Amino acid sequence: MANLKDQYAIVGAGLTKFGKIFDKSPVGFTLEGIKLAVEDAGLSRDDIDGLLVAMPAMMGEEHAWAARIGALLELPLTFSYTMDMGGATPVAMVQTAALAIAAGLCKTVVCAYGHSENPQGAAFAIPNLEFTMPYGDIGATALQAHIARRHMHEFGTRSEQLGQVAVAFRHNACLNPDAQMFSKGPITLADHQQSRWVVEPLRLLDCCVQTCGGGAVVVTSAERAQDLKHPPVLISGMGQSHSAEIIEPWPGKTGHRGGIPAGRMCFEMAGMKPKDMDVIQIYDGFTILVITSLENYGFCPIGEGGPFAEDGKLKVGGALPCCTAGGLLSEGHLMGMGHVVEGVRQLRRQCKERQVKDAEICFVTGYGGAPHTYPVTLCYSTLILRRP
Amino acid sequence: MSEWEKFLPKPTEDTEPYWDYCRKQELRMQKCKGCGLVRFPPSVICPRCWSLGHEWVKLSGRGKVWSWVIFHQAFYPGYADDVPYNTAIIELEEGPRLHANVIGCRNEEIYIEMPVEVAFEKVDDEVTLPKFRPVLS
Ligand SMILES: [Zn+2]
Repeated sequence: MANLKDQYAIVGAGLTKFGKIFDKSPVGFTLEGIKLAVEDAGLSRDDIDGLLVAMPAMMGEEHAWAARIGALLELPLTFSYTMDMGGATPVAMVQTAALAIAAGLCKTVVCAYGHSENPQGAAFAIPNLEFTMPYGDIGATALQAHIARRHMHEFGTRSEQLGQVAVAFRHNACLNPDAQMFSKGPITLADHQQSRWVVEPLRLLDCCVQTCGGGAVVVTSAERAQDLKHPPVLISGMGQSHSAEIIEPWPGKTGHRGGIPAGRMCFEMAGMKPKDMDVIQIYDGFTILVITSLENYGFCPIGEGGPFAEDGKLKVGGALPCCTAGGLLSEGHLMGMGHVVEGVRQLRRQCKERQVKDAEICFVTGYGGAPHTYPVTLCYSTLILRRP
Repeated sequence: MSEWEKFLPKPTEDTEPYWDYCRKQELRMQKCKGCGLVRFPPSVICPRCWSLGHEWVKLSGRGKVWSWVIFHQAFYPGYADDVPYNTAIIELEEGPRLHANVIGCRNEEIYIEMPVEVAFEKVDDEVTLPKFRPVLS
């Protein structure tokens, strides 16, 4: 994979208006996101010959989803796939785009996402839940609550430490006028501790918001990127891993550690270490997921994520600014597309009050899969983005 | 409890034997004929050695609580009357883990490593669910 390093770039990025807005279908949000990203790149329809689209949650049998999005934009495609790894999809689409361009299948790929209902809300319609649903163990929150319970048991992690993640990301969202929770203002640790239990040991403020919206990024070769509107954001590293956890553990694995190979692969390809990162965008469906991700990707030792995240270093202005737009917890649940777009914007230095000074390298993660099915199946995706 | 406006198992060809045994109040899982792994969920193939051969062995029904959580919110109307209710991941003596409810004690009494044993709860003529109760010492 080393031959991919710094050869491909994100050259366009866009997010639609998002939040609790219900004026568009998933198709509508996806189409608008693509338009914004392509315009942001200074490109036009005829430049786009590749299209990857994240499969909307709960869509049932919808063959050729991505190609249909392409048809609605009259894109001249030679490469198109619908991709589905849940929240790991946006990062994985960027990786796949680079691979397709490297293979000569196309030259410029749009990676798009759109959603118009709560992805957690319709879980009961998914088949193959016979081993969890009858007991009322429903949804992604339940899985993360079990993971939090184990983390507390094994490492002494406390709810207050999870709370500091929520406090930090809300702080960041309050520097981002587009964030869904911007108008709600900052929260304190006391607010977190007083928020109601959802699935104990997780409280309401440990959980992401629900969001309608869409977004897209444009990937092309680093060479082609030279002439475009914005300075390119190079793809220096990428990784994926896929695991069965919790119920049918990988041999030798007892916890929530399937992401470790995705991180190792990404840092090796880039020839970098976690300490080289100026800013990070960690997929943050739940506060505990940030803690386990920081451990899995080597930002701190296994088990020490709680104390590590506790001191405010994840805030903009802190030592390791994370989810600088507010993340899924406070910016909005754009299934990780927001994380990729924020990574691009930070490296282009477009982030105004929340800009991380002199940001040159950004780590971005995705996380998703099938938390409520058996075995619990999880997908991890990682990127290192670099300003040349 | 507004009994069973809840989700009930819809077994597939691969998982049906598990539920058939539960109906007979037996906890059985597949034991691989290739490597001896007792596996769950049911599957046509061993995830470890890919052997297709297996037998449905009867398990002790004993295990320990590996994790437990309390739902304070119903994500589906059929569970609303049960809130707050627990769900737990049970690690069986034979190795596999599975989700269930811990019954026969208060939520506050559950703890990790708590010894439990299977207790079958008949829902209707088709479905019997394995749940777990504390082992009285
Ligand atoms: Zn085997």
